[in-house]
Amino acid sequence: MAHAAHASHDHADHLADENNKFYTFVNLALFMAVVTGLELVAVYLPFHLALIWTIIVFLSVIKFAGVCTWFMHLIYDKALLTVLFLSGIIIAIPTSIALLYLFENSDVDAKKIKHGVAAHAPAAETHQSHP
Amino acid sequence: MSAHADATSTDGLLPGSGADLKATTTGIENKKMLMWAFLASDCMFFGTLISTHLIYRKIYPGVGDTEIGRDPTKLFSLELTTFSTFVLLMSSFLMALGVSAMHKGDLKSFRRNVLGVIIFGLIFLGCQTFEFYEFFNIKGLSLQNNIFGSTFFVLTGTHGTHVAIGVFWLVCMWLYSFTGRFTQDHAMDVEVAGLYWHFVDIVWLVIFPAVYLVEFIGKLN
Repeated sequence: MAHAAHASHDHADHLADENNKFYTFVNLALFMAVVTGLELVAVYLPFHLALIWTIIVFLSVIKFAGVCTWFMHLIYDKALLTVLFLSGIIIAIPTSIALLYLFENSDVDAKKIKHGVAAHAPAAETHQSHP
Repeated sequence: MSAHADATSTDGLLPGSGADLKATTTGIENKKMLMWAFLASDCMFFGTLISTHLIYRKIYPGVGDTEIGRDPTKLFSLELTTFSTFVLLMSSFLMALGVSAMHKGDLKSFRRNVLGVIIFGLIFLGCQTFEFYEFFNIKGLSLQNNIFGSTFFVLTGTHGTHVAIGVFWLVCMWLYSFTGRFTQDHAMDVEVAGLYWHFVDIVWLVIFPAVYLVEFIGKLN
């Protein structure tokens, strides 16, 4: 009897939790719609490029975090799932940034590209001549 | 962290959403754990595609056989892409409501919300198909004729494939919900499908600024 009452109480709590989530989701959806609009507006602003870049990256990170935290239930779930997901992101982002810095414009010979020759062809030839 | 995620009942079951879930050593359903592990790996997959696109945009600026290869702002429709982003965000919202409805055992609400997600997903795919058709047939951009085209089509095409898989998954789930065998016990299955759909959304939230918006910065003012 006590077990049934406890289960009923749990169920009522669970329903209340889910009902509260509804308002959180509505607010978040409205907020993200506004943020998407702001991203579009930011592109047209006559500010310094670095500032516009910063604004757009910041707004995107906010939207990304919003979806992960509330829509994907990370805030309601165990921390292990956050760690698991972050492990992928932590590997992906620094690797991408490192690659962007590793590859430079100066690595490319534009004249050779125009003539259909691969940019790193001389290096490859040198490599072949000295096996 | 919510109480229901941490508590384990005396009979070795996790008090879930009406349907009790089998307890695991981590306290997290295996399906859910597996999906998160997959999403973490998919982050790295999309990370490579986005990086490749950005690196080639950086080291081959203005290289292309066509005019559009020199200036992608003449190619993109910012309004269409913003609309697509909005549609995908709203589909994520409906998916969250669908998952919540299933946890409450409200099958009608689940069906309504998931149908909305499917429709929004199809609208997104329609926009992308229109965009690809226009780029390929009217503006002459293809996988072969331009480095920009190669990386752009591979990146957005892979994302579009993910969206199509998500739509197919949700259509199957939506149809299954009419068989009478789909109950609150399947709340975890819906949640896992929801995680996949939200992931597709957050990937687009990165692609939108990294591929589209970045081309317009400093060119419109």
